[in-house]
Amino acid sequence: MPRSAASYAIGGFILFAVIAIAVWFIPPYYTGLITLVGIYALVTIGLNLFMGYAGQVSLGQAAFVGVGAYTSAVITVKLQWSPWLGLIAGGIVAALVAYGLSFVVLRLRENLLALATLALGIVINVVFNEWDFLGGSSGFSGIPSFALGHFTFDLRAHAILSWFLVALGLAFAGQLVRSNFGRSLIAISAGELGAASVGIDAQRLKRQTFVLSAVYAGLAGGVYASYQTYIDPSSFGFLLSVTFVLMSVIGGIRSLWGAPIGAAIVVALTQVLQAVVPIVIPSARGDFQSFFLGVILIAMLVFLPKGLVSRFGEARA
Amino acid sequence: MMASLWQYVLAGLVSGAIYALVAAGFVLIYQVTGIINFAQGEYVMIGAMTAASLASAGMAPVEAGALGIVAAAVVGGLSYLLAIRPARSRGATGVTLIFITLGLDVALRGLGLIIWGTNPLSLSAFSGGSSISIFGGVIQPQALWVLGADMVVFALLYIFFQRTYAGTAVRAAVASPAIASTFGIPLRTFAFWSFVAAAAIGGLGGVVIAPITSATYDMGLTFGLAGFVAAVLGGLESLPGALVGGFVLGIAEKVSGGLVSTGWEQGVGFIILVLVLLLRPQGLLGRAVRQA
Repeated sequence: MPRSAASYAIGGFILFAVIAIAVWFIPPYYTGLITLVGIYALVTIGLNLFMGYAGQVSLGQAAFVGVGAYTSAVITVKLQWSPWLGLIAGGIVAALVAYGLSFVVLRLRENLLALATLALGIVINVVFNEWDFLGGSSGFSGIPSFALGHFTFDLRAHAILSWFLVALGLAFAGQLVRSNFGRSLIAISAGELGAASVGIDAQRLKRQTFVLSAVYAGLAGGVYASYQTYIDPSSFGFLLSVTFVLMSVIGGIRSLWGAPIGAAIVVALTQVLQAVVPIVIPSARGDFQSFFLGVILIAMLVFLPKGLVSRFGEARA
Repeated sequence: MMASLWQYVLAGLVSGAIYALVAAGFVLIYQVTGIINFAQGEYVMIGAMTAASLASAGMAPVEAGALGIVAAAVVGGLSYLLAIRPARSRGATGVTLIFITLGLDVALRGLGLIIWGTNPLSLSAFSGGSSISIFGGVIQPQALWVLGADMVVFALLYIFFQRTYAGTAVRAAVASPAIASTFGIPLRTFAFWSFVAAAAIGGLGGVVIAPITSATYDMGLTFGLAGFVAAVLGGLESLPGALVGGFVLGIAEKVSGGLVSTGWEQGVGFIILVLVLLLRPQGLLGRAVRQA
C-alpha cells in the first residue's frame, strides 16, 4: 500500500520523539550507537533517492560525508566559527562538489557509473590525505561540539540532533517521492529514453537528485565531525561507501523507511558479530565482520532484492 | 634526475605487470558474462596469502605458489556458483550484479582476515641472485618472474582464443549469445570457467608479487582497483588492451609517485580512469563499449 507523503513526516517525527525520550533511559554506550545509526540513516535516505528511485548507482557516497565533515572541521577548528555554521556549510560544500562532479559522472550508466563514482570517492580521499591544509593523514582533532546558548551538546543531545535531521530528511524525501519529481525519477529508472519521450529532462533530474544525496551526506558528515570531535581520511574510505550500499540494500533500496532500518541492522549486526565471533574463532580481530556483512549483502540480493521493507508493503511506485 | 626517472619506470613495469594480470581477469569475466567483478583483486590476495602461509609452514615456494593459484581458482569458481549463478537465475541484472560482486569483495577480504589475521606474511623469492642492472636502473630477480608470468599468461590466452575450438566458441558466445546458445554453446559453463580462469590468473599475480610486496589480507583492494583502471584504460573488452593498460598505469603511478608524492600514486590512477571514461570510453585500444 503506497504511503502518503505526510506519513513519512508523521512517522519520522514519532520516531524522533521516541528516541528523544529513550536516550534518557538507556546506557550512554547505546546512545552513541543510536547517534551513529541516525548519521548513517541520513546518508542512506539520500542514497536511496539517487540509487533506488532514480535507478543510478554511487559507490563513492562516503566521500560526500567526508566533504561535509572536513568543511565543518575547517570552519570550527581553523576559523573558530560555530559548528552550526559548519553543519550548514558542510551540506552546501558537498552539494557544490556533487554539482561539479555531476557533469563528469552522470553521463555514464550502470557499470561505468559505478566505476566512476568509486574512482572519484577514492580521489577525494587522496585529496584529504595529501592536502596539508586538511591535516593530511592525521586529519583534525578538537572539533567543538554543538551548543545552544550556554548548553554544550552532550551525548544525548547529539543523538537527538541526528534523529531530528533524520526526521526532517524523511519528511522532505517523503514529499519528494510522492510528487511529480519522484514519479519522474521512477520513470528515469525504468529507462531514460522512455522518460525523455514523455518530456522528462533526465539529466537535469539525475543531477538534482545526485546533489540532494550529497546534501544528506554532507549534513551527516557535519554532525559526525562534531559528535566524534576528530576526523581523518580513513573514516571516509571505500569500505564506508560499501557499507552505505549495504544499508540501502538491506532496508530496501527503493524505500525511505528502509534507510533507518538498514542502518540500524548493519550497526547492530556489527556490534553482535564483534562480540560473538571472537568467542567462536579466537583469532578473529579487526574488521572481520565484513565477511558476514558481504555474505548478507549477497544473500539479500539473491533472495530479497527489494529489501526488508518490501515485506512490510512500502510502495514500489 | 633521468636515472631516477628510469628507476621509476622499471618499478612501474613490475607493478604494471600485476595490474595487467588483474585486468585480464576483469576482461575475461566481462566479455563472457557482462559483469564487472569487483572481487577480482581478492583473488590476488587469496593466491598470495595461501602461498605465503604454506611456505612459512615449510613448503617450497614454487609448490606453495602452485597451491596458491589453485586456491584462488577454487574461490573464483565458488564465487560464481554461490553468488552469481543463483542471482542470475532469479533475474538479477545490472546494478544488482554490481552490488553482488561488491559483497563478494568485502566477504573475501573478511575471510582473509579471519583465516590469516592482520600481520603481513612474506614469501621468499623464487630464485636467488643479486639485483639486476638494466641501463643503470636496478630490478630484483623476482621482477623477472613477474614479467615472465605476464608473458606466459597472455600467450596462453592468445593461443586459447585464436587457435582452439573452445576459444572460438567463447568468442562466438561473446559476439552473439543468443545465436551461440542455439548452436549448443553452453553459456553458463563458460561463465563458470571465466570466473575460474580469472581467479587463477589473479592468484598467479598474487603469488609472483608476494616476494616483492609481502602479502596482507587487505592487499586485494589496491590491486583490484588498479586492475579496473588498467582494464578500462584498455577498453574493458580487449586482452591486449589490458596488457597495455596495466603497464601504462603502473608506470604512470610510479613516476608520479616518485616525482610528486607516493600518496598520489592511487589518485593518479583514478584521475586517469575518470578522464578515460569521459574522453575515450572505448579505451586506448578498444572499439565501442557495450553499455549494458
